[in-house]
This record gives sequence, C-alpha cells and structure tokens, in this order.
Amino acid sequence: MARRGRLVIKPDRCTGCRTCELACAFVHSTGGLLGLSRIRIREAGAGPEGDRHLQMTCLQCIEAACVKVCPVDALVRNEDTGAIEVSERCIGCGLCAVVCPFGHMHFDRMLGRPIKCDLCGGAPTCAAFCPHGALEVR
Amino acid sequence: MARIGNAKQLAEYRKQVKASKPESRKAIAVCAGTGCKAFGSFELFEAFREALARHELDRQWDLRATGCHGFCERGPLVLFFPDGMLYQRVKSSDVDEIVQTTLKQGKVVDRLLYTDPQSGDAYIKERDIPFYKHQRRLVLEQNGQIDPCSIDDYIALGGYSALAKALAMGPHRVLDEVERAHLRGRGGAGFPAGRKWKTCRGTESDKRYIICNADEGDPGAFMDRSVLEGNPHSVLEGMIIGAFAIGADEGWVYVRQEYPLAIERLELALEAARAKGLLGEDILGSGFAFDVHINRGGGAFVCGEESALIASLEGRRGVPRRRPPYPAVAGLHGKPTNINNVETWANVPLIVGKGADWFRSIGTEGSKGTKIFSLVGKVNNTGLVEVPMGMPLRQIVEDIGGGIPGGKRFKAVQTGGPSGGCLPADKLDVAVDFDSLTAEGSMMGSGGMIVMDEDTCMVDVARYFVGFLKFESCGNCTSCRDGLERMHELLTDITEGRGTDETIALLEDLAATVKATSLCALGTTAVNPVQSTLKYFRDEYEAHVRDKRCPARVCKALISYTIDNDACTGCTLCAKRCPQDAISGQKKGPHTIDQDKCIKCGICRDVCTYDAVRVE
Amino acid sequence: MERRFKINDIDVKARAGEHLLDVARRYGFEIPSLCHHEALPPIGACRICLVEVAWGGRRELCTSCNFEVIEGMQVTTDTPAVQHHRAMNLELLLARAPGSARLRELAAQYGVRRTRFGPPATSPLPNCILCELCVRACEQLGNHALTMVGRGDKKRIGLAFNSPSEQCTGCASCASVCPTECIPVKDTAAGRTIWGQTHPLVLCKVCGAPVMTERQRAKAIAKKGLPEEYYDFCESCKQSTASKRFASIVW
Ligand SMILES: Cc1cc2nc3c(=O)[nH]c(=O)nc-3n(C[C@H](O)[C@H](O)[C@H](O)COP(=O)(O)O)c2cc1C
Ligand code: SF4
Ligand code: SF4
Ligand code: FES
Repeated sequence: MARRGRLVIKPDRCTGCRTCELACAFVHSTGGLLGLSRIRIREAGAGPEGDRHLQMTCLQCIEAACVKVCPVDALVRNEDTGAIEVSERCIGCGLCAVVCPFGHMHFDRMLGRPIKCDLCGGAPTCAAFCPHGALEVR
Repeated sequence: MARIGNAKQLAEYRKQVKASKPESRKAIAVCAGTGCKAFGSFELFEAFREALARHELDRQWDLRATGCHGFCERGPLVLFFPDGMLYQRVKSSDVDEIVQTTLKQGKVVDRLLYTDPQSGDAYIKERDIPFYKHQRRLVLEQNGQIDPCSIDDYIALGGYSALAKALAMGPHRVLDEVERAHLRGRGGAGFPAGRKWKTCRGTESDKRYIICNADEGDPGAFMDRSVLEGNPHSVLEGMIIGAFAIGADEGWVYVRQEYPLAIERLELALEAARAKGLLGEDILGSGFAFDVHINRGGGAFVCGEESALIASLEGRRGVPRRRPPYPAVAGLHGKPTNINNVETWANVPLIVGKGADWFRSIGTEGSKGTKIFSLVGKVNNTGLVEVPMGMPLRQIVEDIGGGIPGGKRFKAVQTGGPSGGCLPADKLDVAVDFDSLTAEGSMMGSGGMIVMDEDTCMVDVARYFVGFLKFESCGNCTSCRDGLERMHELLTDITEGRGTDETIALLEDLAATVKATSLCALGTTAVNPVQSTLKYFRDEYEAHVRDKRCPARVCKALISYTIDNDACTGCTLCAKRCPQDAISGQKKGPHTIDQDKCIKCGICRDVCTYDAVRVE
Repeated sequence: MERRFKINDIDVKARAGEHLLDVARRYGFEIPSLCHHEALPPIGACRICLVEVAWGGRRELCTSCNFEVIEGMQVTTDTPAVQHHRAMNLELLLARAPGSARLRELAAQYGVRRTRFGPPATSPLPNCILCELCVRACEQLGNHALTMVGRGDKKRIGLAFNSPSEQCTGCASCASVCPTECIPVKDTAAGRTIWGQTHPLVLCKVCGAPVMTERQRAKAIAKKGLPEEYYDFCESCKQSTASKRFASIVW
C-alpha cells in the first residue's frame, strides 16, 4: 500500500539545534511547550567533527508493545500514514509509556494522556523545519 | 396428584373436582388478603373451621380462605355462596352466632351487614353495596371465590381451559387474538400487548424469555399484590399462554421482597401447576415446555422500570438504560424478552377464553377491558376497585368511593401513582382511560388513585411527591437527580414562605427540562404533580408567594394559631395541654397565644371544646 | 448493515448499532458532552449531548451518546430547545462542580455564568458531577474497584464495599478520564495515594524514578504477556539506553 511519506532520520547531519523539537511542540500544543514535543534530541558523545546528536522519536513499530498493552485498544495505526495514533478511546492508564522499549512514549500526568509522534498526518513538521536536512520525508 | 395429559383429561378432572364439592355449592369465603389478615382473619378462619366441625356442618359448607375482596377497610370480610351475602368487620366471637342464625336458620345477622355511612341503608348482598355495584370485576372476579392455595378451586371455575384452548389454536392465532383484543399494558405505559408479543416472537433468537413485572413500587398501591395473593393461577395461566404464543421457554416473576404472602402463594401455584403437568415439560401433552422462576426484588421504585428490572435480574445495579433496543428485541441476557405487568398477564386467560370480541365490547375506543385501581385518600370507601375503561372519574369517586367524608369539599384526585397529575373538580367528568387521562396532564399509571379534600394544600402535595421521587430516582440523569432535588428545594421554599414569583418561574422552567431531557419515564413523568398543580391550582402557589398564605392552612410556616376572645370561656384546657407553654390567660378570662413560642402543633385547636382557636 | 440519515440536513452513513454522537463527531459536527468516552459504554448521565431527532412522525429530544442510529431519521444538533435544556442541565451541574474550569467554560458558552442553585445537600467528592466515567473506566480495566453508591439525590462515587480496595491498582485512569478532574491523586516518594490507599511504586532500575505502581505492574504482567523487563525502566533511562545503542550502530 502506498503510504504517504516515511520519516527518515539522518543522525550524521544533526547539529543538535533542536529546531525539530520546537516545531513539533508548536504544532502539537498551544504555545509550543517543549515538554510536549514528540521528538527529542539526545547527545551521543563527541565525534571527530564535534558533538554528535541523535533524534529520538517513535519508530511506529510493526509489532508495537504499546498497542499490545493498551487495555482499551486506544492506539490505532493510521493506514494512510503508518503512524500509531492515540485515539479518543484512551483512558489514561499510562501502560503504553511504561512498556515502550525505547522510551519514545511520554505519559503526561497533567493531560492524563500519552504523547507520541503521529507523523503529523503524513507530513511531519519536524522534517519540514530541519535546517540541515537531518530529517527527511521519503 | 396425577399429571393431566391433555385437554380432555383436564375437562374430566374439572368434573371430578366439582363433584367433590358440596352439592348445594354452599361456601363460606373468609378473606385472607393482607388487609383482612391484619384485622385477624386467620383466627376467624380457624374459628369457622372449628365451629363447622363442631356443628357437623363441614360437609354442607365448603370453607375457603380467599384472596382480597377489595373492600379492605371493612375487613375481615366473609362472603356466603351461592347467594353472595357479605358480612363485614367479623370477629371470631361472632362465629357462633353466625353458625346458629345464618347457617342453621338462614337468617341474617343485621349488625354484621354493611351500612352506608351516609344514607344509613344496610345491604345484604355484596353486589348491591354501592362500592361493588358500579364495579365490573373481571380480573378480580374469582378473588373472593377461590382459595388461592388450591389449584382445584381454580380449575373448578374453568381455570386452565384457556390454556388448553390456546394450545389447540397454535401460537399465531393466539397472537392475533391478543392483538385484536387490543389489550394494553396495565403497568403504566399502556403499550399494546399484542404488538409487543409479535415483536418478541418476530425477533430471531435461539431463546426468548417472558417476565411478569410484580415490582409494584407505588406507595399505597396493591392491585398486583391482590391479584397475585388472591388468584396466582390466573397470572400463571396468562404467562404460560403468552410463552406459548411468543415461543419462550423460560419465565420470571419479579416480585418485591415486601410481598412475602404473594411469593408464598405463587410458589405454591408453581408447584401445583408443575405436578399437574400444566407447567414444565410437555404441557398438557402438547410438547411445549416452559417453566417459571421467582425473583425477589429489593424494592427500589425504579426497579419496576423494565430495563432497570432486567438489569437487576441479571445481577447488576437497577438502573434504566436507553430504549430502543426494547426488551422485546434485546432484553434479559440480550435475548428477546417480553415483559408485562401482573394485571396484563391476568387478562390473557379471559381474552383467550372468552374471545377478543367479548373483550373489545368492554371499555372505550382506545382502551379496552377493565382496570383495577387502588382507591385511597379522602373518600368514604377505600379499597381495590375494578371498573370498565372509560368510566368517568366522578363515578369512581362519588358512587364507588361514596364521596368525601365529613361533609368536606372535594378538591383533587391524583391518578397514576406518585408521578401522576392532580385533576381538579371540573375535570371529574374525564373518562378514565389511557388517552383521556394523559391528555389532561395526568396518567393511568399502574392504577393508584388518591382523593384529596379541601384541607389539602396542593403545593404541599406536589412537594411530597417530588420528595418521594427524588429519593427514588436512580440518580443517573442530571435532570432527574439534580432537577428533582432542586424542584424539591424550590417547593420547600414556597411552603415555608421564602418563595417569590421568580421561584415559581424557575420551578416551571426546571420542570420543563426534567420532563424533556430525562432518560426514563421516572424522570419524564416525575414533574406531573408539579405541572398539573401549577396548571389547575396556580392560585394556591400565588397565595403562598404573594400573600404568604396557605389557603388550605397546611403549611406550618404560613399559618398562625390565635384565640377568639368572644368564643373563649377561659377553661384553661388549651394552656394546660400546650407543649410549649405558649398560652397564657386568667381562669374564666380570655387566653392568648405567644406567637414566638408557638410551634403550630395544633393541639390547642384539637382540645378546645368551644371552637375558639382559629387558624389563619 | 448500513444506516443512512441526515444530520443538520447533511447526508451521513453509519453502521447499524452505532451511537449517534460518535457518528456526528466523525463527520465533524460539534456536540458537547461530559459523560461520554469512546472506549466506554454510554449511559446518558449528563444530559448535555442533547439533539433533536425526528423519525417515523415522532420528534424528540434525545441524548446522542446512547442513541442508536435509525435509518432515515433527521437529526438537528442545535435547536433553541436543545440550547435551552442544555443550559439548564449545565446550570444544575455547575452547582455540583463550581471548581471545574471545563464545566465553567462550557456553561459560559450557553450563557450560564452563575448558577441559581446552592451546593448540593450531599456531595462527598467536591466537584464530582456523577458521570460515572471513573467507574466505567475502572470496570473496563477489569478492576471493579469503584462503584456507584446509593441512588437519587444520595448517589455518590465510592469504593466497592466502602473500604480500601484490593482491586484498585492505583493506575489513576479514573482521574485521567474525570471531566472535572476531581479525583485527588498524589505521587510522593512513599508511593501514589489515591482513594485512601498509598500504592508502593516500582522504581526505575537505573535512576530510581517512579515507573508505575507495583499492583499495576503485577496485573499487566499477568494479563499482557510482555517480558517482565519491559516494566523495569523509566522513559528517560530507556531513551538514553536506546540512543546509545543507536549511536553505536550509526557511528
Ligand atoms: C419508574 C417506573 C416504575 C415502574 N414500575 C412498574 C411496576 O411497579 N410494575 C409494572 O408492571 N410496571 C412498572 N413500570 C412500567 C414498566 O417499565 C413496563 O412498562 C411494564 O412492566 C410493561 O408491562 P405492561 O406493558 O404490561 O404494562 C414502571 C415504569 C417506570 C418508569
Ligand atoms: S430519569 Fe431518573 S430514574 Fe430514569 S434513568 Fe434518569 S435518573 Fe434514573
Ligand atoms: S469522579 Fe469524575 S469521572 Fe467519576 S463520576 Fe465524578 S465527575 Fe465523573
Ligand atoms: S454525553 Fe450523552 S448524556 Fe452525557
């Protein structure tokens, strides 16, 4: 099935400028609270050309632990984009965030909801704003 | 006790039973309904048994403890067959005289006859007494004739012949007959039973249930109880016929816990019917199998609502759910379930036995047959009355009820239980049927009927019923739970003198929302007492808020007690009895009431022999 | 089977048995609600999601959350009657939950800025609007720790058998779904305190940050069949472990 853009991460191009985090936070929350960004930049030590960085965000796993653990089938794959999305069925038990092996899901106690990448409906904003071509949509 | 294998054997068995009864068909029927039992009818029955044996009359007279005769107020009642003479307020000590005078010499004991309190006329025969004369007893007919614990008594009077007929007709003709009879549900909503049965039968399923709704939560109502206690087989026969027509193999009777006698008699009836092969496997040799269980309900009013009742039967909290889907499509355990009221089921053997045409000849265009009411309140004759649909309210109140006691003026009658409306004197000519009552802002309900006289404050009445209903609401809906609580607060404000015109306006507004937006009929009908009193007795509301006056002199905050100096003789009686020491005055001199101390208990007024205490 | 009908004169389609509110929202119609949750069976408690429905010669005000769609019906989501009765029910609820920002905002949309009713006579849990979402969520999780107690004006939320519950896992889903955010949850070093119990927490094996309650973990392991170590670390430590692993692959 033809899916709209896949998000491709190129860590070697990342400078750690965190524009992606900001862009994500702005489309997913009013006021761009950085804590609500679905993508996170991690430092990965020093390399020959300076500090290295890694962009960490949901991998949209095929056999996702979060989907398996959800008691109310609230995590649903969007067949158009391939993203696993948090639906209105979520009752806020927090198990998905606990079981994600990569820590890509964040449970926000204030909202009573998990926060995760939804690929912005097929056109990831982070990629559009990355000044260094470190995030690409293919 | 052998099983009865088919219709022919049933007819033979009936002949046998009849042959075993005294040839003279002489019988003494002592009412053993709950009311008469409370007056000591059990001891009375034993006294009769003992006396008949002692006088060796027990072969000539068939002694029976029967179900409720309806005239509970005059109990214990004793009826003599075949001529239908009625003795009322009979005590065990009267038995010897009755045996000597009535049984042996055939003479009447005058003081035991019913005497009309107004005209002073005494009546010998039950059917001549005004209370009974205007009634048309179909469902209740056998209540005073048979021993509810005896299946033989029931069979002797033709019982279970309708079942045999139905089995011969086949399910579809039975369905058609019930539909054509236009039997409407007696539990409140008046939905056509035939239509409901057909829907239930027409829903594809591997299993269907039927339910008899005997929850009867209306305070003061005892129609269903009397039928179950007095003639349980008639309900059971109706259910078996219904199950056969609908294609159900399992039935439930949901009886409230507070009806132990009804449960006991129903259990006896089930056992007897099973032993006779009228219930269980292969009923009357037809191959049709059906059995009935009894469930004791906890007694919440809302559990009488069908979807709440089903939830409660399934072991869940008794809370209504939205319909559709109706139980006839998805009911108990999700299966098609036909639920009818006790009285509805009891009408079924009559319809099948005598035919839809006969049934349709009674009643009005839209409402066929009879309806049982429990007539209570400020009328001379209270009790259970069964009348043809369409009888004017006036005839029930004045002729059957015998008018208002103490020469007081009639003020209102509430029909339909706690959530019925109150109709004023100029609506007394309304025909009592489903549609006419609803059109006037009241309802048939399950058949409560409360008569009120001039001493009743209509605001207080509305407050009382809303108070009951807010307590009985299941609490699910904002509108019903909070709306009724707030309406109760507003009504309390009005009766306690804190109301204004805005209070009335808010009350009306709130009532409209409760009615329009609540989920079940408890909420949507709960406003009837308020809306009807606002419609017909608005002046009383206005007197409360504008003049701070309770015209019926009921609302304590709005009345004051004073002593009329001219009438007071200074006897000091009131001063001595006042619990608050609020009355002062010299002996032989005029007395006065200290308004600050007075708690408006009304004792002074009750004790004054000179009628000198006034209420304003 | 399919059902076709109209909402505000626009043709819509739904599956038989679907509830009107879900369908309306799918098509983008706005209907307010307080006691509705997609994952939980509807009970029609708040009476806010009212709409006007006409079918078969009938015209009625109905709550859309628990209304099964009917072929050929005509739904209007915002008539004057709908507005009027929504406002009254909101005013009633506002007296129960004056502290709820969400409710205040919704009520204000219907012109209700203050309520003419005082605080309710019985309300052991301040700001609770008795929508039962918490009870239904708890049931849905199979915990059955919460229940409704009493009826009518005495109805309230309570623990089953009214004592600190064996069943409660401390997951706080009840607090998450509560529309008025009225269920107190407190996380401290000692554990998570909710409904009168303090639940010991599972701590991250790396940094010691709280991950979940012990009961929640035991239950999830028993029910979900994922490896136990899935439940051992906090989000942040998992992410840094993962990032190290990725880095070693990239560079
Ligand atoms: C609050 C409430 C209480 C009810 N109580 C009773 C009851 O006690 N007995 C009864 O037969 N029906 C009662 N009903 C009506 C039932 O819901 C249902 O309509 C009836 O049992 C159907 O039987 P019918 O068609 O034979 O009347 C009640 C309804 C409501 C809304
Ligand atoms: S209308 Fe009243 S009794 Fe009926 S479901 Fe709603 S709250 Fe319960
Ligand atoms: S605590 Fe919250 S979720 Fe539970 S009934 Fe009250 S308002 Fe609803
Ligand atoms: S959302 Fe429908 S009644 Fe509450």
